[in-house]
Amino acid sequence: MRPMRPNQIIGLTLIALVLSAAVIGTFWTPFDPLRIDLRNKLAAPGLPNLLGTDEFGRDILSRLMAAAGTSTSISLITVSFAVCGGVTLGMIAGYARGAVDRAIMMVNDAMLSFPSMLLALALLSITGANKYGIILALGLAYTPAMVRVVRGAVLSLREREFIEASRIMGNSAAYTMLRHLLPNCLAPVIVLATTMFGSVLLTESALSFLGLGVPPPAPTWGNMLASARPHMSAAPWLGIFPGLCIALTLLGINLFGDAIRDRLDPRMRGL
Amino acid sequence: MSSATRLTAHILPFALALWPGLALAEPLKVQLNADIRSNQPGVNRDAGSDSVMMNVVEGLVTQGDGGRIVPALAESWTVSEDGTRYAFTLRDGVTFHNGEPLTADAVKWSLEKMLGDENFPCRNFFDGSRGAKITEIAAPDARTVTLTLETPNALLLPLMAQTQCGGMGIVAQASYNADGSWKSPIGTGPFAFGAWKRGESIQLIKYAGYVPHGDAPDGFGGRKEALVDEVNFLVVPDISTAIAGLESGALDILPYISPTEGAKLRDEKGLAITAEPHGGIVTMLFQTDDPLMSNLALRKAFVAALDMPGLVDAIMGGLTTPNNSLVASKSSYHGDVQKQGYSYDPAAVPALLAEAGYKGEKITILTNRRSAINFDTAMIAQAMLQAVGINAEIEVLDWATQLDRFNSGNYQVMAFNYSNRADPALAFQAVTGSKAENANAIWDNDEVTALVAQVTAEADPAKRQALFDTLHQRFLAELPLVMLTNSLDVSAARPGIEGYRTLQGIVRLWGVSRS
Amino acid sequence: MLRFALTRLLSTIPTLLLVSIAVFGLIRLIPGDPASLIMGDLADTAALEAARQAMGLDRPVPVQFLIWLGKALTGDLGNSIASNEPVLDLVLRRFATSAWMVLIAVAIATLIAVPLGMLAARRQNGALDLGIIAMSTLLVSIPTFWLGLMILLTFGLKLGWLPVIGYVAITSDTKAGLIYLIMPVLTLVLHEVGIIVRMARASTLDVLRLDYVTHARAKGLSEAAIMTKHVARNAFGPTWTLIGLILGNLLGGVAVVETVFTMPGLGRLIVDAIYARDYPVIQGCLLFVAVIYMVVNLIVDLLYPIFDPRVTAQ
Repeated sequence: MRPMRPNQIIGLTLIALVLSAAVIGTFWTPFDPLRIDLRNKLAAPGLPNLLGTDEFGRDILSRLMAAAGTSTSISLITVSFAVCGGVTLGMIAGYARGAVDRAIMMVNDAMLSFPSMLLALALLSITGANKYGIILALGLAYTPAMVRVVRGAVLSLREREFIEASRIMGNSAAYTMLRHLLPNCLAPVIVLATTMFGSVLLTESALSFLGLGVPPPAPTWGNMLASARPHMSAAPWLGIFPGLCIALTLLGINLFGDAIRDRLDPRMRGL
Repeated sequence: MSSATRLTAHILPFALALWPGLALAEPLKVQLNADIRSNQPGVNRDAGSDSVMMNVVEGLVTQGDGGRIVPALAESWTVSEDGTRYAFTLRDGVTFHNGEPLTADAVKWSLEKMLGDENFPCRNFFDGSRGAKITEIAAPDARTVTLTLETPNALLLPLMAQTQCGGMGIVAQASYNADGSWKSPIGTGPFAFGAWKRGESIQLIKYAGYVPHGDAPDGFGGRKEALVDEVNFLVVPDISTAIAGLESGALDILPYISPTEGAKLRDEKGLAITAEPHGGIVTMLFQTDDPLMSNLALRKAFVAALDMPGLVDAIMGGLTTPNNSLVASKSSYHGDVQKQGYSYDPAAVPALLAEAGYKGEKITILTNRRSAINFDTAMIAQAMLQAVGINAEIEVLDWATQLDRFNSGNYQVMAFNYSNRADPALAFQAVTGSKAENANAIWDNDEVTALVAQVTAEADPAKRQALFDTLHQRFLAELPLVMLTNSLDVSAARPGIEGYRTLQGIVRLWGVSRS
Repeated sequence: MLRFALTRLLSTIPTLLLVSIAVFGLIRLIPGDPASLIMGDLADTAALEAARQAMGLDRPVPVQFLIWLGKALTGDLGNSIASNEPVLDLVLRRFATSAWMVLIAVAIATLIAVPLGMLAARRQNGALDLGIIAMSTLLVSIPTFWLGLMILLTFGLKLGWLPVIGYVAITSDTKAGLIYLIMPVLTLVLHEVGIIVRMARASTLDVLRLDYVTHARAKGLSEAAIMTKHVARNAFGPTWTLIGLILGNLLGGVAVVETVFTMPGLGRLIVDAIYARDYPVIQGCLLFVAVIYMVVNLIVDLLYPIFDPRVTAQ
């Protein structure tokens, strides 16, 4: 085992911070994150509201903590959805080629050809804007990109010697895929998944900007950011804190993602 | 006079004439948050389309300040003894934007064309299905137009003046193609319709042949003189961008800002804003057919939980106060009775909830993001309701979905605004009726519907006042919906723009000058 | 190669059919309809029915679909319910706006991001690498509406260098058109650079570990020569796929950026049409976007072997 590099330590620390905020926020917050206090609107950071209050006088720190759980769980489930679907379909399509590939890619291309934001917008109008609607809509919207990237990686790996060797040795297709293809196409999957994780956090805020998203009053970093926009000049902290949460989470995830990638990469093993 | 000033005084006019683009030709730039739907008055319209068209076309009559009916193309009119025949005398010297004179025949043709158009939603106000029934339009001489009704209707003129109906604007025959389809509006208003770049901008050009009358602007009537040569409506959907545009000078007027945004612009940027109440109504609707909300005691508890001044102050940015009556606060019928409102009494809520047999069932309030007022109403009301133990939840829908739920009656509680109604009777008409016939009716009570029909036909102000008083007392007792306040027209203009007002949701461009 | 292209083109036909059916079914599952939006709060039941009938919305959805499909095959995508304009004209005009913006932005982003990504990979785990990762993460994590507004406030308002509102087509006036494109393009570039850098870095790292790079090093080639001659070409493959995906996705419209910068582009058209339930426009736009997307991806796949010789186009 190699010692941890500084960027991996930073990554893990950030993720640990976000996760503990999410766990604590589920059970305890300094104030009720939903409590409206119209006499204390847009209070600047200080005491008793450490990070200030929003346009309805709600405590921002409490909302950020409550949002940590909602935002990260939405992103995590959505990305897992896309990774599971995308890796399975992409590997099958890339490995099997022929008719199976064509059938999968036809449906995939049909889905991909809707811009993900618009697909999410349309699906959300049907499911109603709520947590599950977002997960379903964004999960479906992100799966095809994953399929395409995995398929691309598999197509290129297929030509490599060790895959050829596994086939010649008489290994089953499933074995070859799991043992040899999967570990080798993890690099692009992890890169895309970490990008997607952030993208879900952001798309949710963009959907709020365009009028849909996780419905208030339940806070997410995204909808806090979107509703902060009109108050940007008078109360910049409204947008800065949720934005910072998203950025730090992403930084943590990306650094951590690179760390896993290095460890999973078979040719890096034992080096 | 020094020689230098004399020189300037002589040369400047020439310089200006040689350089016409210098000062005068800079158009007035007005924000629209969405492109207009069409340029046919009253057809395929929304508030923005009405707004543009009211500057281009004029009807026979229109609304003055305070909702009075004032002359427009008709300089005067008479009503027959039995109230079924209206004779309008046309103003002299009026011409269409293409130079054709306005004649009684042209008016008759335009009105008949409009009322015969099945895409004209206001048609049902005039074919007997929900208002007056016009049986004949005639032009006995070049300056007289007569309308004959089947039965008397005191609201005929207010109905004709509705901006949602394009003000029943009269257009020249050349506005249509030979096959009868719509081409482009040739009206009689102070501005002619210019170039329309779809999704981008709409240009209005001062009509030089417009003959102003009266001394000062009066609602949509009075003196309608264009003081700028050109107006450009720019489609800017995002309010933050529009505000940046106003600060940079890319826009001169933001005609539609929410009250809270208006208050912010005034406080933070020191911009001049105007805020005036109109007849639009800001409400929370109850579905009285709903198993829960059909319970009057529960509705009473709901209303008693709402701190009305606090709620209205928050949603309207402190720019107006509550009005719990469907009679608009600016209306001449808004008297002492109408000033009675709901009372905030959280202490009484537990007893009312017990009486209602309420056991913490979920009550869903529908709202949308399109209207900041609806959104904030739901947010703040929810907090107030939860504080007294009513389990209120919010569901945010997109506007089309919410409108669908409104029209099908599928909701428990909904934050909803009605657009401006020209007469209090029309506001009552909007919310009353049989749910079986129209699923979007709110207040389903045959006696009340009969009272509304009575006040609609009644012309005598004293009798109308008595009827409005009775209706308001029943409204407070039966609580079919929560009337919060009247909508506000809030607008902001750059320094140096004089005389601008948004009036009942309409951009009023005449009388506006740039100093 | 030609046969591959033709097969791919033909194979898009069933996909397009699938897209049309999906779009048609999808948008009619959304509650709300254009009739009630046009009538607003003036609606009554009878008037709504009449309006729906006039729009042909009272017929069964499969019948509506067949009518629409029949016309679409002859190139008639119908007229917008909201503006009564032919959908095809509307779509093409709006697409031109989006396409200029997106093509310029993606080209600039690629030129900046790919060398940066390779540089980061070359100095893996060094300070430069960490800096580039942090920068790209930061860029990716700023929402475009936020970034766009900041740019607008800075360059448009505070500095007053660029016009805040308005739009001039680049085809009607090149210079003015370019000026109006600066801020939206800058917003997109900053965002896309963040995404592409990460992919370029990851795929360069992959290639750097391959045997032939070690060979090349053993042969004594300079690092610069290795990077430009051997690594660059091979590492560009996966990045190229990603750029294709980004391009395809962005050409479908960048609703948020178009909203902030008041660009009359395709993205805003679709979002507005969804909100207005303007069925013909939604159908036409999404079908058009699907075609564009497939063409872009076909081109990407055809060009892929140029960047990654291990794959042959079949």
